[in-house]
Amino acid sequence: MAKTVISQKLPPDIDPTKAPLAYGDRALPRLNRELNDKELITRQRALMTLCDYLHDPEHIAEALRVGVAESLKKLLSDKDPTVRHKTTEVLYVIATHNKGRDAFLDYGIIVPLSKLFDDSVDLARKNAHMAMEMMSEIPYGAAGVVEAQLVPKLVGKLRDELNEIKELILDTLHFCLRVETMHALVAGAMEVFTELLGHNQAIIRAKAARDIMDLSVPLDGKNKACEVKALPPLVGLLKDGDTYVRSMAAGAIATITITTQGKYLALEAGAIPHLVELVEDKNSEVRLNSLKALTTLSEAPEGRKELLNHVDLIKKRMEDESEAVVKAATIAVRVITWKP
Amino acid sequence: MTTVLPQQKEQHGGGTYTFSSRPRAVQQRKKYRDAGQGQDSAALYGNIMYDRRIVRGNTYAQHTLPATAQPDPIEIQRQQEARRRAIARKRAKEQLRPRSPEAVEGRKHIDVQTELYLEELTDRVEEADVETQTDTFLDRPPSPLFIPAKTGKDVATQIYEGDLFDFDIEVKPILEVLVGKTIEQALLEVMEEEELANLRAQQREFEELRNAELVETQRLEEQERRHREEKERRMKQQREVLRKEKETAEKIAARAFAQSYLADLIPSVFGTLADNGYFFDPVERDVESGFMPWLMETVEKAIDKSVLGRTMVDVLIREVVAQRMESFEALQRSIQEMSGGAAPVAKPLEMEAPSFIAEAAPPPEETPAEVPSAEEAPATEGEGEGEQAEEPEGGEDEGEPAEEGGDDAPGEA
Repeated sequence: MAKTVISQKLPPDIDPTKAPLAYGDRALPRLNRELNDKELITRQRALMTLCDYLHDPEHIAEALRVGVAESLKKLLSDKDPTVRHKTTEVLYVIATHNKGRDAFLDYGIIVPLSKLFDDSVDLARKNAHMAMEMMSEIPYGAAGVVEAQLVPKLVGKLRDELNEIKELILDTLHFCLRVETMHALVAGAMEVFTELLGHNQAIIRAKAARDIMDLSVPLDGKNKACEVKALPPLVGLLKDGDTYVRSMAAGAIATITITTQGKYLALEAGAIPHLVELVEDKNSEVRLNSLKALTTLSEAPEGRKELLNHVDLIKKRMEDESEAVVKAATIAVRVITWKP
Repeated sequence: MTTVLPQQKEQHGGGTYTFSSRPRAVQQRKKYRDAGQGQDSAALYGNIMYDRRIVRGNTYAQHTLPATAQPDPIEIQRQQEARRRAIARKRAKEQLRPRSPEAVEGRKHIDVQTELYLEELTDRVEEADVETQTDTFLDRPPSPLFIPAKTGKDVATQIYEGDLFDFDIEVKPILEVLVGKTIEQALLEVMEEEELANLRAQQREFEELRNAELVETQRLEEQERRHREEKERRMKQQREVLRKEKETAEKIAARAFAQSYLADLIPSVFGTLADNGYFFDPVERDVESGFMPWLMETVEKAIDKSVLGRTMVDVLIREVVAQRMESFEALQRSIQEMSGGAAPVAKPLEMEAPSFIAEAAPPPEETPAEVPSAEEAPATEGEGEGEQAEEPEGGEDEGEPAEEGGDDAPGEA
């Protein structure tokens, strides 16, 4: 039975890999100091503790006030792999909050972080990409990423990285493409995305299709997509098992077929029958996108002719539960039955 | 245990310390301590506590024993003197001590006990002899367990069920805290992920709508653009057609006008040309170009001849007049010489002579074209006379002689 005497010994250290947290508001300044320590083990332990401590948003705000961002920036170029991968994890946690993202931009952490894309440790790269992806989700973060000329680099990485990381890069690119598409087009992103359409992982296919959709928003992108023959694989993906894949493929087709060239290529690839099938899909997004694709295709006379057979099917969709689908169906019917 | 200090053979400290304690028989001692001898006996029995050789306390004021074996002679002297002084002091004190006066003669002071209870004054210490003899050697029994004597009071206490605390009740808050913290942590993590997932789902929805809107916008844009282009094209075509029509109409009108304009062009052109003399009758032309010049030349020649004749006549007249003048002048002079006056009479004659000459000059100048023959005439006065004979004959015949005259003139030239 435990004695009632207060022991002189400290309680047993549950986790020797973590630095002990000082009490109250001394915790963060002390951790900040330890981050800059010369001893490797001190830095590592401080990083582990910091990682767990910063899950609370208030702590993030305080940490940034104390100047943790600067220390982390220095640690990004540390020689020890554990330090680097933990630092990137901490940066990821910080980037999930707005204050953190502001700090990224203030201290210019994007560029050093991007150097870690070439790191030898997988975890470090993965975390770096995760942090970058979080960063790019807000408009000015994406603008920052684009300004740092990271888009061509990311596209290059997309070719030969691990699958998990490919996913993250595709996400990052998705947000960056909303801001600026020139860089990606120049860097040959369309070809890479088209290749990825045949990937064995569904999520990567879906994200690649989504990125093609984003990239095809400007006219150059549409032309590039037609050039690179992205339409046949996209039409193939319309039969894919994964819902997300189908919906993104339909969306991509919808954006590419706005140009006349795209329309005819899609008609050649036989997109209409598949799209008509998808109108009945369970997922509302799929239905919406396929209706949009059908609308663009029916702008062409051949398309309109074929679609006149399926008008009834589309008319049924006007009583759909999703409002967007209803609207899309109405527009589609109107376009199909339009006479010049 | 009695301890005995070894007899100090040496005055000074030095050499190894030895200690021995051997059993001694009890000394015969007096009942009462003797004042003087007390020290020595005390010196023989050493108590370690009162041994001056053992250092106690601070050492900064200690007497340090000299290192050398030989004592300093000065030190010895000093000590001896100190001893002598001490003895002297004691003796002095003894003398000063008040004593009772001396006994009267024949009497003696004797100490007498006057207390209630008499005290035996003997020097003999009561002694009792006691014998003891150890037992025969026995095996030493094992030493018993040392159980220290109990000091203090014995107090017992017993905790019964429910006296101290109820574990189940007491553990609850602690458990709650523990479990609560763990669950809170877990909840936080799960919530974080859920938040992220929710955000992503919302993002997806938003993106869905956005994409749809975007596509719609672009499609409408495209449609607009195409319609507009179509319209433009049609309009352009129409315009083209209109333009062509206009052009054609203009062309026709122009053609008609041109035709009408040019209808009477030819006659008028011909008329103008004819008026300007661009069309000629060959015979007429020939007559004009051939015949007329010849005619004119011939006429010229004829006139030249007549002019020449006149000139010749003028020359003749002049010469004659000049000769006459000279002769008249000579006459005049001779008259004057003779008469001495009548100058004015000569003048009218002079006046007339120039007028003859003036008339003779212009006619040759009138026909400058046929000049050669006319100019030659006054120059060649000598031959003029010769020709004069020919001239009248030439003047009569306008035919070949005139030509010869004309030919001669150029020949002479």
